[in-house]
Amino acid sequence: MNATPELNATGHSRSFSRRGFLGLTAAAAAVPLLAACGGGSASKGGGGDLIKFWDMPWATPAYNDAAKKITESYVPAGSGPKAGYQTIQWNNFYQTFSSAIASKTGPAVSTGGGFQAFQFDQQGQIAYADKVIDALKKNGQFDDFLPGVLEPFQSDKGYVAVPWQLDMRVNWYRKSLFEKAGVDVPKDWNGLLEAGKALKKIGAVGFMTGAGAGNFLGNHAVVQMMVNNGGGVWDENGGIDVMNDRNVEAVEFMYELYSNGIIDPAGVSYNGDNHDAQWKNKAKAAYGPHVFGLNNRIGDTSGDLLVADPIAGPHGDKATLLFPNNIMMYKNTPSQEASEAFLVYYMGKLKDLWQQKLMNALPVFKSITELPEFTSDPNNVKIVKEWQPIAKTFGARGTKLTANTAVLDGGQALTQFAQTVLSGKGDAKTALKAFEAGLKQVVKS
Amino acid sequence: MTTVNSGLSRARRGIAPGGAGRPAPQAGVNRASKLHGQTSRTYFWLILPSVLLLLLINGYPLVYAGIQATHDGSLIDAGNFVGVDNFSSVLASEAFWKAVQFTLVFTLVGVFGSWAVGLGLALLLRTRIPAGGLFKVLLLLPWVVPIVVSSTAWNWLVASPDSPTAKLFTAFGLETPLFLADPTLAAVTVCLFKVWVSFPFMMMMSAGALTSVDNTVYEAASMDGATRWQQFTGITLPLTARSTYISWILMTIFCVNDFPTIYLLTGGGPVDATTSLVVYAYRKVFQDFQTGPGVAVAFLMTITLVIVSTALYRQIRKSSVE
Repeated sequence: MNATPELNATGHSRSFSRRGFLGLTAAAAAVPLLAACGGGSASKGGGGDLIKFWDMPWATPAYNDAAKKITESYVPAGSGPKAGYQTIQWNNFYQTFSSAIASKTGPAVSTGGGFQAFQFDQQGQIAYADKVIDALKKNGQFDDFLPGVLEPFQSDKGYVAVPWQLDMRVNWYRKSLFEKAGVDVPKDWNGLLEAGKALKKIGAVGFMTGAGAGNFLGNHAVVQMMVNNGGGVWDENGGIDVMNDRNVEAVEFMYELYSNGIIDPAGVSYNGDNHDAQWKNKAKAAYGPHVFGLNNRIGDTSGDLLVADPIAGPHGDKATLLFPNNIMMYKNTPSQEASEAFLVYYMGKLKDLWQQKLMNALPVFKSITELPEFTSDPNNVKIVKEWQPIAKTFGARGTKLTANTAVLDGGQALTQFAQTVLSGKGDAKTALKAFEAGLKQVVKS
Repeated sequence: MTTVNSGLSRARRGIAPGGAGRPAPQAGVNRASKLHGQTSRTYFWLILPSVLLLLLINGYPLVYAGIQATHDGSLIDAGNFVGVDNFSSVLASEAFWKAVQFTLVFTLVGVFGSWAVGLGLALLLRTRIPAGGLFKVLLLLPWVVPIVVSSTAWNWLVASPDSPTAKLFTAFGLETPLFLADPTLAAVTVCLFKVWVSFPFMMMMSAGALTSVDNTVYEAASMDGATRWQQFTGITLPLTARSTYISWILMTIFCVNDFPTIYLLTGGGPVDATTSLVVYAYRKVFQDFQTGPGVAVAFLMTITLVIVSTALYRQIRKSSVE
């Protein structure tokens, strides 16, 4: 009868000592420290007998299978090392790379985040690709690059990485909704405003984007509008230049779009799936910026979802954002010459990936954009002809990329700014000032 | 009333009707003391491997985190020693205090909301209801289902104006709610999601504690004329207090350290409305690439958790002594 209270009041509770309890509590409470300081999944063997090539899941698993096959088919000249392939997941990829590099078990060559090469270059881990560029000049591939794609990678010390595919923001529209609304697809900002108002009347969204968990397209959309107006986050020398007139004008226009109900008010919380669902819904998203190959991404190749013409800002500027994904080499390698030889080989095999229709991205080589497998989709042709020539990087208004662009992309300052604008809170100048202040806190001068 | 109170007082001490309370001290105290000493030594040796393992697992990251928090480096290189600069910059940041505020709300709602629901259901399931076992299993599902799955389900329920919950509101003629896009509603949604995910744990803890309360205690209280509410406040709560405090400590740690519940549903947005300290620390380290300040936030969280846990531990001791 009295057993439970007696036990509680005597023996057991006293042997459960405070010191022991505190020790265990401290251990349990240390979880955030463990999470923060990492110890990610460093994989084995950066050096050894293989050139380790780490690649990301850029498309369906079939892509990684094909990339693995290309890697493992590499036959080195002489007695050089062969190459090994490993897929690295996007989750915590920066932690994975960092811990592997720190423990000297990282790759010799890798793809990765768009600005990763610049971050690791800042930390002295990157091997420059000048000799690879020289080899590409010799084999003719250098002249095959689309205009302007190599320039962002050229630093004072050398080429930080070599671009291999382009992630571009282009404006898409759903033809049937414009027909239903009885308006033309916009060619300038004024047209965008008028079309948006007409589309709203039929319940469609005239500027669809999303800035929820893990979805950076909304962030890109706001910067894209700034760049489209001749603005940008940086000046020509890479310094912060947020409060310029063109940016203010662009952000004021975004607020105008919001106040007219042209931007979906729920968009600020759309994750990638929610965002795509709006485009899948044939009555909802009518116009807005999205990635190359949106039609394939959401499985709508009926011809109703089309790439729009680039729109002109109030001063006649036309521009969009481009994220040149790249392949980088690391100093920790069994042989720098072997890394370079492998990268030259891999660049020569890129065509296979587009021929097999595994890639949903713009290639860097003109010859690939001329392949029938690529030109079979008229949207692709339009992007190459009309959007690629006007594309600028996140480094705009400068032309070079730096480690600071990594801090901009996905950083708290830009996310907070974009979410403020896309939820119509405050005004343009206040939002831009907060953005500038946030950026100054994290950007290294 | 005096009879009721005296009955409840006896019941609280676990004394059944007609019982005599604690047994009187007996002879042979020295022998008992000797045995107690031997038992303590046995406990010590049994617990030692686990404690050593915990120290090894936590020791290195703690020390390394200490180094990172006092340096200005990256994940690869520790960088230069900056003393407490990272702590002072974090403490001076408005975003940090906003995260503190949300963490407090999230933790309070998470702990007490899930405890209230869990205890209520545990009391309900204590009564004989048809298919009680099946209900218990079903009620455990939110805790058992991986958080990625449940967050996806909640996202589907609330994310867009076309989602079922939003449509339900509009069907009743209400304005379309922006559950995740409106800062206040997003905070409410995330807290409710946390309660939903956590109540099964609290239910299990409460159910376990309730089984240790003998029915005769309630019978005694009933005979003394105690109402249901008096039985709940005078018997159920005090006799399950020890388990309750432990569950509060654990849930406080779970809530403060909870990254996926928030990050998967809102990513900390909109405009930082649902950014907790652990999300803030993550974003500092992995999105702003500010390792030192991010780890400093994690350190501050750890210190706070130890203080809160100690305070709650004192409550456990008090409840044991009473």
